[in-house]
Amino acid sequence: MVNTTSHSPDNTLIRKAQAGDSHAFAELVKRYEQTVYGFSFKVCRNKEKAEETLQDTFINVYRKLDQFNGESKFSTWLYSIVTNNCLMRRRKRKIDEQMVYLDEPPIGDDEAHDRLTIPSWNETPAEELMRGELRSHLDEAIQKLPLDYRIVFVLRDIENKGAEETAKILKLSVPAVKSRLRRARIFLRERLNDYMKQ
Amino acid sequence: MKKTHRRTIQCKSVYRHICDNLDADLNSQKCREIKAHIKKCKNCTAYLDSLKKTIRLYRTYPVPTVPAKTEKKLFAAISLEVAKAR
Repeated sequence: MVNTTSHSPDNTLIRKAQAGDSHAFAELVKRYEQTVYGFSFKVCRNKEKAEETLQDTFINVYRKLDQFNGESKFSTWLYSIVTNNCLMRRRKRKIDEQMVYLDEPPIGDDEAHDRLTIPSWNETPAEELMRGELRSHLDEAIQKLPLDYRIVFVLRDIENKGAEETAKILKLSVPAVKSRLRRARIFLRERLNDYMKQ
Repeated sequence: MKKTHRRTIQCKSVYRHICDNLDADLNSQKCREIKAHIKKCKNCTAYLDSLKKTIRLYRTYPVPTVPAKTEKKLFAAISLEVAKAR
């Protein structure tokens, strides 16, 4: 049987899936499974959790597909489901011991801040990223970043979503997205500074 | 003659601006002042550089692809859900 769905636009697949076409739904899953899995991994840094979030997300998509009315892009809707699953996962855990709180200012008093000499960072060749030590520093730093900030950082700086789309995905205002992103960037930079400086 | 005192832009406000507008090529008066400050200030240059590197490191961190076993489990779970709905 010829596969007539593999090049169809998302909206065509969605309409067919909403009408009960399971092949169309399967094609939609194949099209976005890496996006969802990759995003989940970037947020939780754990393959098992990413796998669970992947499954939860597409089950949710199947159950709620008739609610998708095409007003936003399918990917925006999909990201809102997967981020919600990431947040739900945190609520189910009693305490996430790794996370710290971002209430305190990330840098010291104003005068000291202006007197500090900011050291330059080492250049990091791509090969070095493959090495365990750097990767574990990156994992450790982002896992300490509170999930609400981590998700914004991943959406904006890694997935390259714009501020407005991120705000839509997370049901936040654009200023709230910008504020969380700023604090996330500062937090991660500070956490990596000791390892990276020359 | 009245002297006009101009507040010199401080590193702290530069850091805040950098964090908010990392990749934007903005052209307001404030942005031009900040760009000029960064050119002359080693601290701010290093800070901007370290922020960009932080983001670049996370962007280029290798992400695993969906394992075949995981995909199989996913489609099995979806099939169950489809069967339940019928």
